[in-house]
Amino acid sequence: MILSLALLGSTAAVVSANEDDGTSWVVLADQVFTADGQVFEGGFVAVADGKITGVGPGGGSGGSELDVHAVTPGMIDLGVRITSDPDAVEQSTETALTMRVAHGLDLFSLAWDRELRSGVTTVLASAPDRNVIGGLSIAIKTGGEPTLEARTVKADAALRGSFGTEPSQGNQSSSGTPQSFYVRRPTTRMGVEWEFRKAFYDAVAAQRFTEREFEGSEVLQSILDGDLPLSVQAWGTQDIRTAIYLKEEFKIPNMFVDAAAEAWMEPELLVRSGIGVVLPPFSFSGRVGRDRAFFAWNTAKQLSELGVPFALSGHGTADASQRLAYQPGLAMRGGLSLEAALEAVTIAPARMIGIDDRVGSIEVGKDADLVLWSGPPFQPTSRVVGVMLDGHLILDPRETNE
Amino acid sequence: MQYNTHNSSQSAPFSGREVLRATLFGLALAAVSSTATAMSPGGDIVIEAGRIITQANGEITDGVIVIRDGRIEAIGPADEIERPWDLNVVGGPEFTAYPGFVEAHTIGGTDRANESIDVAPFLNIRDSIDPVNYFFENVVRNGITTLGVHQGNNCVIGARGMVVRPVGRTVEELMVIGEFGLKLSAAPKGGKSRATQAQALRSAFDDLKTYLEATVMDRRDNDGKASREAMYQGRELDEEESKGRAMGGIGWKVDGLELIPRGELDVKQRPLLDLVEGTYSAFFYCGAPMDVHLALEIARDNGFLHRTTLVLDNSCWKAADIIAEAGVSVVLDSNMVHTERDPYTGKEIETYVPEIFADRGVRFALSSSNSSNQSLWYQAALATGFGIDRAAALDAVTIVPAEILGLGDRVGSLAVGFDGNVVLSSGDPLSTTAWIETVVLEGEEVYDRKTDTRNQHLYEGQTQPVGTKSDSMSHNSAGNRR
Repeated sequence: MILSLALLGSTAAVVSANEDDGTSWVVLADQVFTADGQVFEGGFVAVADGKITGVGPGGGSGGSELDVHAVTPGMIDLGVRITSDPDAVEQSTETALTMRVAHGLDLFSLAWDRELRSGVTTVLASAPDRNVIGGLSIAIKTGGEPTLEARTVKADAALRGSFGTEPSQGNQSSSGTPQSFYVRRPTTRMGVEWEFRKAFYDAVAAQRFTEREFEGSEVLQSILDGDLPLSVQAWGTQDIRTAIYLKEEFKIPNMFVDAAAEAWMEPELLVRSGIGVVLPPFSFSGRVGRDRAFFAWNTAKQLSELGVPFALSGHGTADASQRLAYQPGLAMRGGLSLEAALEAVTIAPARMIGIDDRVGSIEVGKDADLVLWSGPPFQPTSRVVGVMLDGHLILDPRETNE
Repeated sequence: MQYNTHNSSQSAPFSGREVLRATLFGLALAAVSSTATAMSPGGDIVIEAGRIITQANGEITDGVIVIRDGRIEAIGPADEIERPWDLNVVGGPEFTAYPGFVEAHTIGGTDRANESIDVAPFLNIRDSIDPVNYFFENVVRNGITTLGVHQGNNCVIGARGMVVRPVGRTVEELMVIGEFGLKLSAAPKGGKSRATQAQALRSAFDDLKTYLEATVMDRRDNDGKASREAMYQGRELDEEESKGRAMGGIGWKVDGLELIPRGELDVKQRPLLDLVEGTYSAFFYCGAPMDVHLALEIARDNGFLHRTTLVLDNSCWKAADIIAEAGVSVVLDSNMVHTERDPYTGKEIETYVPEIFADRGVRFALSSSNSSNQSLWYQAALATGFGIDRAAALDAVTIVPAEILGLGDRVGSLAVGFDGNVVLSSGDPLSTTAWIETVVLEGEEVYDRKTDTRNQHLYEGQTQPVGTKSDSMSHNSAGNRR
């Protein structure tokens, strides 16, 4: 059987939206994982008008029935690299504080549909990590009518920064010394940190003296106030330290490190600083990312035991065997409980960027974003057989189960 | 080795390899002297498990496996099997036992996988295999106990392969079958077009035919150049080699070959003659669906189709029908999802490859060697998720690859008379939460997770603070990996 993954082009999406409007669903499942602490063995989720209208044990009524093995909330990926196109790198500044990645998003990219059909319904889309501060990220649904208005969950959901070698990658001029402003800076890790620190020094100064205000100081101000989360990429322990020390130095209340493979190395620092963690996809060899950080299997388990808020990520890979749907199963290989693994792809990332009032769990009133599974969720032996987004059935289990 | 030495109180998870690591710096002598003990008859051991997955004969609850001289002597429920009092016992009710996995086709463990000569059937992959390559250590950790090691896909006609077990200090110790399977490729070798590749394949066999005809004519003309050449080269022809034999096989024939003592034939031509006579197996790589036609044509025209296994790129599902018709077995790419974009609609089409072949009734083996997971259990689990049933997925990493390697009656299943290659796992083979705890290879316990420090490192990271000796050493050993 060939499973055709049709891209939701604009017209297709609009048409299907009209067809589904007003449609109600009752999803019956052997296991309903709500991600708010409850699992119903033999339960239902009722959906109407794009929202969840009921959940519980037994059966529900009042809509077309879908019968599957398990249902979980739609998954949320804060580390999806949907914009990691080198052409999307802003070259005019290293600290693009006021730029919004939303304005450069290609909503017709195949990557959205790939995520959606593998069960990821909401992502945090961030600027590529070639800038020290890449701009404002957007929390956005992976499907639906292809407009920002229709898909946005939270417009300015986080500010994105990056440490490590990536922001300075390729910035060395071919002759060795930067002779002109055409050569980008910084060129080293310390240069990256300096750019970052400088931006925050300037923001602190702007707090005191209005004449020191600059473009973007209000963005950093809301970071310092804790209204806007700061997301920074840091793979290795060296860069995770940099993130933590800067968090503590500038007393940034709401911050998380993305791709923090070596978070296992100094967990006491994570606990002390109150920083959150987004883990990269697991690797059987242990080595991950361009900085070749070492990612131990039991990292997620450790973070869970220490109470560090953390989420898992699939990094938006095109490789079907590496997607987010498999990451919780691999985290469980390192000893993480199913419950915590489930939370790490649903409610935990939702809380980290403050969208848990709309998505991240199966609760009455929340968006009807659901993943339907052929077997135990997150195991490689199971398949995502159905995906519902805002009550629209994107992937129909009645077709994929054949 | 370096990672382990600081902690020498722990016994080694890989006993054989550990010895070599300890002697790495005095390498040559140690390796040579150990060859004498290479061909041990295998070990004796009793394995207990709460669940035994035999593969060929279903499952056994609370079972026992008795292995003597490396072979399974008895297997069955605990209350039916008499356990020899004098043997070591491993396992217990908490374990699941299953046959060691079989990888039919890998380039893993080789020094360099490809040869620059286009047609090089006279080469042998054994000369490229590096027994201390970390690849083999990882293979054992992942429960693979038999592998077909072959030359890479970048060839016209490549080297002869070898079937190995992953534990041993020398290539001889690794050896299960010294020579098995000749590698061919229907996909263009670097620098060739598909047309020149096809031409090179056809002409290799044309050259063989021309050579054989010339040699026979030469003998009939009473010139006897071949025998003089053999004499000049100091080749003494014993028994079989001194006899001529009429050309066998079901392909084309050269009359009068019985006139030529086999030992007088050019060693560079004989591997191809073995193929044509149907006495040798072929592993034929196809990089695209169109290559399948060429591979089947070459194999059919030269009489070795029945001994051909196709090694397939994942796009080759499009040729599944003609593969099914030809009746050959296949080894699937480790990336089991084929993705392409419809040029007209822009839609992305994903195809789950194992399902296609399962539906056509093609015998297929899964492979892990090009995947980042390097784990056949994980590949089988993924294949199950991609829509084939569990039994077929497990067969594709045990019974089918065993048959492809000509070892269908020795490995890939747990039954009396089979090699004692047993994996003890903490749970179901296809579950991510299960870990391989013990591997028994021909009756010898060759892996124990409790003493596998490298796996411990993978599991929980550094066991000592950053910047200590252990840290810098582990980075070194990672750098040593090839």
